Order: sequence, then structure tokens, then C-alpha cells
Amino acid sequence: MISLRLTRWLIGYVRFSVLGGSPERFYSFCARSGAYLWDIAAGRSGGACVAARRYRLLRAPARRAGCRLRVRERRGLPFLLRRTGRHPGLWAGAAVFALIVSVLSRQVWCIRVTGNASVPVSGVEQALASAGLSQGAWKSAVEPQKTAQQVMLKFPQIRWMSINLKGSAAEVVIQEKTAKPPIENRKNLCNIKASATGQIVSMKVYAGTPMVQKGDAVVEGQLLVSAVVVDKLGGNTLTHASAEVVAETTRSLSVKIDRKRQKTVPTGKTVYRRNLDLFGARLPVSFQGKPRGNYRVSREKFGLSLFGTPLPAGLYQERWDEVRTVDYTLAKDQARALAKRELAGQEKKLLNGGRVTGEKITENWAGGTLVYSAKLTCQENIAKESEIFLK
Amino acid sequence: MRKPADLLGLTGLSMQAHMEVNGNREAVVEGCGGVLEYDETVVRVRTPGHVVRFTGRGLTIRCLTADALVVTGYITGIEFMG
Repeated sequence: MISLRLTRWLIGYVRFSVLGGSPERFYSFCARSGAYLWDIAAGRSGGACVAARRYRLLRAPARRAGCRLRVRERRGLPFLLRRTGRHPGLWAGAAVFALIVSVLSRQVWCIRVTGNASVPVSGVEQALASAGLSQGAWKSAVEPQKTAQQVMLKFPQIRWMSINLKGSAAEVVIQEKTAKPPIENRKNLCNIKASATGQIVSMKVYAGTPMVQKGDAVVEGQLLVSAVVVDKLGGNTLTHASAEVVAETTRSLSVKIDRKRQKTVPTGKTVYRRNLDLFGARLPVSFQGKPRGNYRVSREKFGLSLFGTPLPAGLYQERWDEVRTVDYTLAKDQARALAKRELAGQEKKLLNGGRVTGEKITENWAGGTLVYSAKLTCQENIAKESEIFLK
Repeated sequence: MRKPADLLGLTGLSMQAHMEVNGNREAVVEGCGGVLEYDETVVRVRTPGHVVRFTGRGLTIRCLTADALVVTGYITGIEFMG
């Protein structure tokens, strides 16, 4: 039905009224003369539609049936072209439009990066731009394979990359490498020494000769496991000593918190600067310049997309919030909580997998400062490799 | 043994009109010889053997060519008149 309507529109048609006489005879004469009529309406104000070029043929049947014909509508492409033919501006506009569409369709306007996890999109886009693939680049100038190779050289963590040009969009598909686990170097020779002073709680010696045993007190730097291994025949061999020596140690940590602090708070004055990103060009929408003074700026980009494909148009907005510096004093509870948080962070970094079995906390409030100290009793692995260099 | 008229009908060379009715909404008449009467309630069509009369409501001749016609609307009756 749509194709029929489209065909009729393309060839052009006339809707006419049949006045007076015998419409039935007129329709019959028309049919016999080979004129194809459709949408024939009954009654005194009845009429029908006929192809534009056939309308002249209806005069003779109308005369024979004693009817008069009156054109009510002219529709279709031929009439449209005749109407617009008097306005050269329309044709010029259509030609310019076709030219713009033709030129724009030869360029890349959307770059979509998918499949990346650790490689940032902005980094990939920069690398693509330096390799010649950026918004507005000519499609004929883009060599997907060469561009992909150049980007892969910049990002060694990319295992595989493909650039697919679909219309004016470039889809960059990335697959990253799986990181190799670190391989322990066991070829060098080393002793195991104590990294801290304490009393040994447990020992697991994987290679080497133990020089201490469970319950012994050791000092920092003391040899725990020797790389020299004596076999049954009395011969000596050197090996890469390996062991896990858990000892009870004592650690002292201290955190200093200044209760008098400064922070920046917004004054409530906000300035927006907006730009319209259109086909790679940034057009200012607001005429506000960069404000002077103490401001904090945040930037946002609102991109447009159609069916998941980003369009080369969007809004770029900068929000400038005026801020001022305010002095304030931490309450004792707040200072204590902050000190505890910082101390927990230090503990985690220092013990590296060990655990705290006991702690003694001391607080010293001196003026506006809190000195928060902790004496920790810990159980931690104190085995530290010490390499032996042989000539 | 088929009659000669039936054989002509099978080969499509029959002098009778061929008519298809889709429900009570549309009737296609092939081999019609002209429109005798037409308004919203009655459409009378000449065919080689008869005059066919469609009655109903809101009847419209959708299209008309030298030997075919399509009547649409709410058809309530079809009569074959000698």
C-alpha cells in the first residue's frame, strides 16, 4: 500500500470533483477509455483521483456524460517541483545541503573506545589523535592498521586493537593483556636476617640452615637462616635461603594532630561558562570571562548520542564556585578519631600482614596539639633476605 | 466429463465475471462492464452475464479500471439481477 501511494505521489495526481450529469456514466466512460481512477467518492459532491497526465483524457467522457470536472487538489512530485522551480534559493539551499552532507560524511566525527579496563579512554584518544585519528579527520587519510600499531606501541598493556570505520564513526576495540604474576628470583644466594628485634614464636624454614630456634630472642640484623648447607658427607653448598619467621615484636608509633585547621568553604557565588561543541569546534554560549579571585572550578561535558552512537555535538560547562578560607578548631573527639585513623594506616603499612596482639595508648594534649602515641605488641614475619655477593 | 463452459472457466477464458469477496468489507469484480448506479448505499455494476448489485453502508469504489472494480465499505447484500 505504501509503495502504491509512493508511486502515485512520484508520478503526481489530481483530485477532482464531478458536477452535474451522470457521474456513474462518466466513471464507466473513463474506465473504457483506459483512465485509471481511484478513491471514487459517491454523491453530488463526489469525485475521484487520476494520474496528472491522464486528467486531460477525462474531458471527452465528461462531455459525453454531461458532467463538469473541477480540480480540487494537485499533489505529487511534479507539482512540488513546479512550485519550487520559481524559488532558486530553495534549489541553492538544497545543493548546499547536499554538499555539506557529502563533505561531512567523508570525515570521522565520533570515536568510541570500548574494551579498555586499565588504559584510560582519554589517553587512547590522545594517542589516536597524534596518530591522525581525531574528530574531524578525513576518513581517506586514516589508516586503521597503522594507527592501531602506533597506539599499541604507546600502550604496552594492550594486547590487541582494532579500528573499525562505520560511516562517520570510528569504533576502537581494545583487548588488554593479562598481567604476569611476579616471578621470584631464586638464583641469587642469600641469608635470612631479622628485620626487627623480638622473640621468635614460630619458624618455617624452606631452604637453608636455621641458626636460631623457636623461643630465642633476636635483635635486628641477626642471622636467622644461613645460606650455607652442610650435607651428610660434610660438604658445603650455598643456597637461596627461604623461611618465614614469626616473632613477637614491640613497635612504637606516634601521630601528631594539630587541632587548629583551615578549610575552604563556598561563598555561594557561582559562575557558569558554557560552550557548544559542534563538529570539533567549541563555540561560546555564555559571554562570561574567567572570574578573578579565589575560585574552585569543575568541568562537565554533556555529549549527545543517537541509538548509542555519540554525535559530534554536546555542551561543555565550567562551574566556578567562589571559595574562602575559614579557620576552625577540631573538637577533642574529632582529633582523637582522626589520630586513630592515621595510626591504623601506619600500622597497616608497618606490619605488612602481621597482627597486633596488644597496645598501650597515651594521649598528650599540649596547647592546640594532640600527640597520640601507641606502644604495640605484634606478631609479624621478621625474615628479610640479605643477598650474598661472591667474587 | 466436464462441460465446455467449465473448461473455459478453468482456463480463465470464461465470459463470466470473476468476483472475490473479502469478508463483508471488500469486493473485487473482474470483468465488469461499467458502473450503473453509485451512492453510499448501493453500487450497481454491469457484468457480462448479469447486473450485480452491492448494498450496504458507506460504500466506496476504491479503484476503477477498464475491466475491474473494487468496492469497499460495509456490504450487507449482493444481488445478481438478470
